[in-house]
Amino acid sequence: MKRVLVLIAALAVLTMALTGCGGGGEEKKADQILKMGTMSPLTGPYAADGNDIRQGAEIAAEVMKEQGGVPGFTDIQIFPQDTACDPKQAVAAANKLINDQVTGVVGAYCSSSTIPASETLAEENIIMLTPASTNPKVTERGLTNMFRICGRDDHQAPAAVKFMKEVEGVKTIFVVDDKTTYSQGLADGVVAAAKENGIEVLEHDHVNQGDKDYSAVLTKVKAANPDLLYISLQNSATGALMVIQAKRMGINAKMMGQDAVYHPKLMEIAKADAEGMFLTFGAIDKDAPAYKDFYAKWKSKTGTEPGAYSAYAYDSAMSYLLAVKAAGSTDFEKVRAEILKLKFVGASKDMSFNEKGDSGSNYTVYQVKDGKFVPYWNSLTGEKY
Amino acid sequence: MEFFLQQLINGITLGGVYALIALGYTMVYGIIQLINFAHGEFFAAGGYMGVILISYLAAQGLHPYACLGISLVLAMGYCALLAMAVEQLAYKPLRQASRLAALLSALGMSIFLQNGLMLTQGVYDKAYPTEITSGGFHWGLVSVSYMQIFIVALTAALLVGLNVLVFKTRIGRAMRATAQDKTMAALVGINSNRIIATTFAIGAALAAAAGIMVGLYYGSVNYSMGFVPGIKAFAAAVLGGIGNITGALIGGLIIGMVEIFAAGYISGEYKDVFAFIILIAVLYFRPTGIMGENVDDTRV
Repeated sequence: MKRVLVLIAALAVLTMALTGCGGGGEEKKADQILKMGTMSPLTGPYAADGNDIRQGAEIAAEVMKEQGGVPGFTDIQIFPQDTACDPKQAVAAANKLINDQVTGVVGAYCSSSTIPASETLAEENIIMLTPASTNPKVTERGLTNMFRICGRDDHQAPAAVKFMKEVEGVKTIFVVDDKTTYSQGLADGVVAAAKENGIEVLEHDHVNQGDKDYSAVLTKVKAANPDLLYISLQNSATGALMVIQAKRMGINAKMMGQDAVYHPKLMEIAKADAEGMFLTFGAIDKDAPAYKDFYAKWKSKTGTEPGAYSAYAYDSAMSYLLAVKAAGSTDFEKVRAEILKLKFVGASKDMSFNEKGDSGSNYTVYQVKDGKFVPYWNSLTGEKY
Repeated sequence: MEFFLQQLINGITLGGVYALIALGYTMVYGIIQLINFAHGEFFAAGGYMGVILISYLAAQGLHPYACLGISLVLAMGYCALLAMAVEQLAYKPLRQASRLAALLSALGMSIFLQNGLMLTQGVYDKAYPTEITSGGFHWGLVSVSYMQIFIVALTAALLVGLNVLVFKTRIGRAMRATAQDKTMAALVGINSNRIIATTFAIGAALAAAAGIMVGLYYGSVNYSMGFVPGIKAFAAAVLGGIGNITGALIGGLIIGMVEIFAAGYISGEYKDVFAFIILIAVLYFRPTGIMGENVDDTRV
């Protein structure tokens, strides 16, 4: 027993020394480091997108340092946190980041995580910039610390429906979602917009997160025989599963997905079955110099292709770093004022924010062709590429 | 009618997979009264072993069916060894301890194995080659894919094999004897430790076969794929009367069917609820499960 006590005491001393909670002398040094957190699902079914978000922020910090860093700070450090797309864990992650004394956070991924986490961060006046949460509520709650780099579902759903009606001449649709704040919110938006536009919604069905077997719901789809099957699922791997099973069942309806399914993993898993599928995602000009610089950096650091939210995560972190640079401090009010004034060419799009914290949606319909996402139709101009 | 037929086919396929996983639960429970919560992880490990082997063999230019056959045998062998190692490490030292200790050890093993898979194989889904699995028959609205036929046929073949093993061979007789009374079986010269290890190995091999079939059927595997089917198969084993082989098959089919029909006729969001309502209802009226009456004669 004594030995155990001694061991525990020794461990306690060691951890205190390591984390530096004993030494007051370190405080000054810590002040000069610009600490930025990221929140995203690093494990679990959404880990593919979640790790893209973390890497996007890390690369932004690296690029900033190469460009001379942020004046007044010796270093930029990224503190990644795993939310697992779970609201409880997201709040815990937010609290962890508050303890780490970060001043800005990139994330989270799932709207259902972003909303509660942003409220925790708001109490401590910490800026949050989301690269991926598209639920309208994210920026509609009057929180002054919340900014959004991606588009909004209440823009995405009408854009998708407009495309169905005007470009594809769709008359009947079948909608499936997996009941997350994000996927169901978007599916509801599509159903509402479709009704307004005179498209008949044959059925709006739900599956559970983590399901692998969609044969029952797809048999319904086949019996209903819609012109188009709208798939609103939280991630690319489950989207791929549904696409494979639909093709195998002999469903010939057109298929359309949304931004969460837009990921190279879709083609990697579904392969030829994904061909011809439509997806809505923000327009990213891959020939723009800003994107090309980002792409080269990403490729050399990670050795992989950027995922759906990589550029958005990079721009989120960049927005924050540029604002701190302009403000010359991490003071909440000053940084917020600078973010609202920002105007720069990001990797994803030309960045600027409105008073709510939104940076505007620019949804484009992509089609899968030869294992690649090819821009097909622009929702802002209503023209085909 | 066509809609019903199609759902029936879907239900049998899913039920077959649950039944194969449930067999492992039921056999292990039958022999040492342990709910092996790590069983779902053998299923996931089998799925991963399958994707690794099939991709490797396919790259060597082997015929897809040859790849599948060889991978199936190797993955089943691998999972059998894994299960024996797990038993040796996590359950054998606790054989004399309270049942709760072994149960907690099983839960811990499940988390350990799942994280092991995540760390070695990564957090992303791994895709199976789909060339083997495409194609099937179509009659009007009803379609049966080759994969569904394969799943049902393999499930049936493995079940027949298992029945022969348990009821017609020496080792099967030893297993049944150990299940009835470990001490007495040991007294008449049965090495009960070896029998228990064999039971774990057989259960895990069946789960590995299920893992490969699921990977092929759905196109990809994921490190956390064992959890939900594990729970469902556990429910199936309890529903059928835990410890009973035929019961596991019936329970698996019922859970699969209920899920598919609830999703097909009511809504996909309630299918798990209905599967568990059936479970609770059956246990309420028949606490021993459907086949639970003659437990002592047929349990492994």
